[in-house]
Amino acid sequence: MKARTASLLLMAPALLLLAAVFLYPLLRYGWLSFQASSVLTGLEPVPNGGANWGRLLDDARFWTDAFQTLRFAVCSVALELVGGLGLALLLHRPLRGRGTLRALTLLPWALPTTVMALGWRWILNDPHGPLNAAIRSLGGSSYGFLSTPATTWFFVVLADVWKTLPFVALLLLAGLQTIPEDLEEALRLEGAGRLQILRRLTLPLLVPYLALALLFRLAQALGVFDLIQVLSGGGPAGSTESLALYAYLNAMRFLDFGYAATVMLATFLLLLVLLGGGWWLWRRGDLQGRREGAA
Amino acid sequence: MAARPPFSSLRRWRSLPKLLTTALLALLSATVLLVLLPASGLSSSGMSAIPVAAADPVTVRVLMPAPLADAVAAPVAQFNASSPGVVLEVIRGPLDTETISDLATGSLLLGEAPFDLLLVDVSWLARYVAAGWFEPLERWFGPEVLAAMEPGARLGNGLDGHLWRMPLTGDTGLLYWRTDLMERPPRDTEELVAISRDLQRRGRVRWGYLWQGRQYEGLSCVMVEVLHGFGARWWNGSTARTELDSPEAVAAAQWLAALLQDGVSPQAVASYAENDALQSFAAGDAAFLRNWPYAWREIEKGGGPVKGKVGVTAMVGAPGEQGGGTLGTWGLSLIKGSPHPEEAVAAIRWLTGPVVQRQLAIEQGYAPTWSTLYDDPDLQRRAPLLTVQRQALQHPQLRPPTPAYAQLSDLLARQVNGMLTGQGGPGPTMAAAQRQSLQVLRSLAGPAGDTADGRPAVDR
Amino acid sequence: MRLLVLLWSLGPLLWQLRTSLLRPEALVAPLLEGNPWTLANYQLVLSGDPPFWRYLGNSTLVALATTLLTLLLAVPCAYGLQQQRGLLRWGVGLGLVGAAMFPTVLLFLALLEIARRFGLANDLLALSLPYAGLSLPLAVLLLRAAFADLPTELEDAARLEGLGLGQRLRHVLLPLLGPALASTGILVFLASWNEYAIALTWISRNDLLTLPIAIARIGGGSVFTIPYGAFAAATVLGSLPLLLLVLVAQRPIVSGLTRGAVKG
Repeated sequence: MKARTASLLLMAPALLLLAAVFLYPLLRYGWLSFQASSVLTGLEPVPNGGANWGRLLDDARFWTDAFQTLRFAVCSVALELVGGLGLALLLHRPLRGRGTLRALTLLPWALPTTVMALGWRWILNDPHGPLNAAIRSLGGSSYGFLSTPATTWFFVVLADVWKTLPFVALLLLAGLQTIPEDLEEALRLEGAGRLQILRRLTLPLLVPYLALALLFRLAQALGVFDLIQVLSGGGPAGSTESLALYAYLNAMRFLDFGYAATVMLATFLLLLVLLGGGWWLWRRGDLQGRREGAA
Repeated sequence: MAARPPFSSLRRWRSLPKLLTTALLALLSATVLLVLLPASGLSSSGMSAIPVAAADPVTVRVLMPAPLADAVAAPVAQFNASSPGVVLEVIRGPLDTETISDLATGSLLLGEAPFDLLLVDVSWLARYVAAGWFEPLERWFGPEVLAAMEPGARLGNGLDGHLWRMPLTGDTGLLYWRTDLMERPPRDTEELVAISRDLQRRGRVRWGYLWQGRQYEGLSCVMVEVLHGFGARWWNGSTARTELDSPEAVAAAQWLAALLQDGVSPQAVASYAENDALQSFAAGDAAFLRNWPYAWREIEKGGGPVKGKVGVTAMVGAPGEQGGGTLGTWGLSLIKGSPHPEEAVAAIRWLTGPVVQRQLAIEQGYAPTWSTLYDDPDLQRRAPLLTVQRQALQHPQLRPPTPAYAQLSDLLARQVNGMLTGQGGPGPTMAAAQRQSLQVLRSLAGPAGDTADGRPAVDR
Repeated sequence: MRLLVLLWSLGPLLWQLRTSLLRPEALVAPLLEGNPWTLANYQLVLSGDPPFWRYLGNSTLVALATTLLTLLLAVPCAYGLQQQRGLLRWGVGLGLVGAAMFPTVLLFLALLEIARRFGLANDLLALSLPYAGLSLPLAVLLLRAAFADLPTELEDAARLEGLGLGQRLRHVLLPLLGPALASTGILVFLASWNEYAIALTWISRNDLLTLPIAIARIGGGSVFTIPYGAFAAATVLGSLPLLLLVLVAQRPIVSGLTRGAVKG
C-alpha cells in the first residue's frame, strides 16, 4: 500500500505538467468556445451562448479547410505508408554501410520542418529555382509551381512525404525486426518467391505496425501547420490552408480567441471521430480475422 | 526474442551513456558560452561605437514594410544627423500587408513590442486600437495639424474621439483608361461598359475592364468602391452592422457578375490580384483598369505597348451616384508603453512631414497628405498623377472602420469570389454574406453584437 | 537502389549546399554555367544582427534544458507507472498514448495565454516548460518499456538489502537504464530543437528566436524575393548539428523509435 502511494507521488510532478499542457488547454477551449473573446470585447471573455458554434457550422472557410486538411492527410499518409514500407524493406536487408544509410535517410526527419519548407520554396522558385531552370534548359518555359492550387498542393504533399517517410520507415523497420528469420526461411524452402513472402508473411505480421504508423501519422497530418505556413502560406487563395493554420490566423491575425478556440476544439473532435472510427473498424476487422483464424 | 534487436544492439553501447553525458555536458557549456559571450561582446562593441562623451542616445525603432523603409532611408539619415540624442532605426518588415501585421501582432500580444512606432495600414487601425496597443496622439497633433491636409487624408486616423495615427500617404483606388482608345474617360459605370463593349465589338481591344477578383482583401477594396458607386453601404456605423443584403448592394454585385457574364471582363479576373490585372493591362489587353497609384509608375517604367497612352481618373459610380476610390493609406502610430514617447513623436513629425512625403511622391508615386504639396508646381511636374490623386481624395471610401473588418472582409471576398466563379447569383451571394457577417459579429461581441451599441465609427 | 534512396533523401539538401556556395548572380544564371564558388553567403549569415549562430545557441539551450527537465520528470513517472496496477495504470497509459499522438499546434492558444498571464514570454528557459510537457508522453512510454524489461528480482534483492526507493533508483535501476535514457533523451532533444508553433507564439524578441522561427522569418519577412543564397547557407548551418547528431546517435534513435513501437 505504501509503495503504491510512494509511486503515485513519483508520478505526480510529470502528471501535473502533462495536465497543464494537454488537459488545461482542452478544458479552456471548451469554455472559451462559448465566449466572445475578441477585439470587440477588449480581448476579455464575454459569454455569447452558442454563437461561435453557430458561426462554425455556417463558416464556408472552416469546412473548405476541413476538406483540404483531410485530403492532404489521406494522400500524404498513404504515400508515406507505401514508400515507408519500401524503405523499411530496403533498410532491413543486410547491406554494407547500413548504419550510415539509415542515418542519412533519417536526416530529413531530423531537420526542422521550416528549414526544408523554405528550401522547397527555392527549388520551386519561378523563374530562378532549379526545377524551372531544368525545364528551361529542356526548352520549356518557367512555371509558377506555387501560384496554381493544384501544383502547390502537390508539392506540399511531396514535401511532407519527403520529411516523414523516414519516420514511417523506422516504425515499420521495428516491425520487420520482430519477424523471426526462420519463418521466412521455411517459406523460402517451400518455394515461395519474394513477393509471396511479403504477402503471406511480412505484411500480415506488420499490420499492427502499419496501423500504429497510420494512426500516428494521420493525427499529425491532420494538425499540419508549420510546413503549410512556410511553404505556401495556405495559398494560393486559401487552397492549401489547413484547419490548424485557420485556427492560428483566427487567434493571431484576427485576435478572435473565442472562435480560434472553437476551431481548435472542432479540429480535435474531428480528429477524435476519424481516429476513433478508424480504430473501431480496425479492431472489428482484427477480431473477425482472429475468429476466422481460430475456426 | 521480440525485443532482441533494440536491446541486444544496445548492449554493445554500454559506454554510450557516459559518452553521451560527456557530449551533452560539453554542448551545454559551449551553449552557455555562446549565449553569454555575444552579450558581453555586443555591449562592448556598442560602447566603442558611441563616443564616451555623449549622453546615451535614445533609440526609436519603427517597423515598416521594406519598400517604404528603403524609400525613407535618406530622410531617416537626415533626421539622425540633425537630431543629436535620438537614433531613428527602421526595421524592414515583410512586403505583404498581412504578413507585416502578423509580425506586429505577435509581438504586441506578448506585451513587449521591439519597436516604438508602427507604420499602420488604414484597414488595421480599428483592430489595433480596440486591442489597446496604441497611444493617442492628440496631445502632440491638434486639429490644426490635420486641417492642413486634404480632406480624404484626414479619414481613417481617428476613432472614438482620439487621434491614433498620423498619415504618411494618401493613396486611393483609381481608374486607369487608355487615351489612345477614347477621347475622355467614362463618367459612370454605364459609360464604362458601353465604351468597353463598343471597343471590343470593333476589335480594338480584347477586354474592357480589368480589376481584382481573387479571393483576398483586394476584392474587398473593389467591393467598397462598387457598393458606394451603387448607393449601397457595407457598414452602418450608427448600428454597427453590415447592410450587405440591401437592394442597392445586390445591384452592385449584379454589376460585377454581369461584367464577367457579358465578357467585358475576362473570367480570369476571378483570380487576379493587383499585379495580375496590371500586367494584362500593361500588355495592352484592356481598355480600363482598377488599381492603386503605384501602377502608373510601373506602366511608364515598363515601356510596354501602352506606355504614354494611359490616363488616370477617379473611380466612377452608377449614373447619378458619386463614385469614390477606396482609401488605402499608411500612417504612423505610437505603441503604448514606448519608453520614450517624446522622441518617438519627433520621429513621427519628421517622417510624416512634407520633406519625406515629397520624396515618396516622386520616387514611389505615393499621394501626399499635405495640401501645400499638391499646390507645389515643381512637384506637380515631377509627379504627374498629383491632380487626379487630389481629386480622388475629395471622395474617398473607407473600408468598414470596425475591429472586425478582417473577418468581415474575408467572408465577403469569399462569397463574391464564389459568385464570380459561378457558384451563386448576386441575390443569394449577398444574402449569405449578410447572414454570415451578423453571425461573426454576434460571435465576436457576445450579446452586444445583437444590439446597436457596438463600436461606432468616429471618422468625421 | 541505395543510390536512389540517398538521392531522394539528400538531393534537396545537397542543392541547398550548392546554392549556399554560389554568388547571388550565379543563382539566376542558367544551370551549370560558370560556378564562381564563394563563402560570402556564410559570412553574411554569420555577421547578421543577431548573428546566425545565436539562433543555433538558442535552440540548443532550449533543447538541452527540455531534455534534462523531461528526463528528470519522466524517470520517476515511468517507474511509478510501472508499479501501478489496474485502472490507473491502464488509464494513464492510454492518456499518454493519446497525448503522444496529439497535434501540438492545437495547444498554442492556451499556452500563449499562460505565457501572457505568468510573464513567461521571451524566456528560453521558460519555453522548456511547455516543451517538457509536450515531450513527456513519449518519454514516459519509452522509459516505462525500459523499466518493464528489467528483471524484477534485481530490485527485490536491493530492497531486501535495505536500500530506499531513491537509492534503488539511483544505484540499481538507472545504470541499467542508460541506453534507454540516451535514446529517449535524443528523441526529446530533436523534438524540442525543431518545435515551431509554441516558439512562434512565445518568442517575439529577435535575439531569442529559435532556429525554426528564425528560418521561417527569413522566408516570410523578406522583401521581393527571399535572399536564397544566404538562406541556403542558414539551412546548411542549421542542418550540420543535426547531421552530426544523427550520424553519431543513429543507433539509439532507431532503437528508441523501435522500442516505442514495440511496446507502445
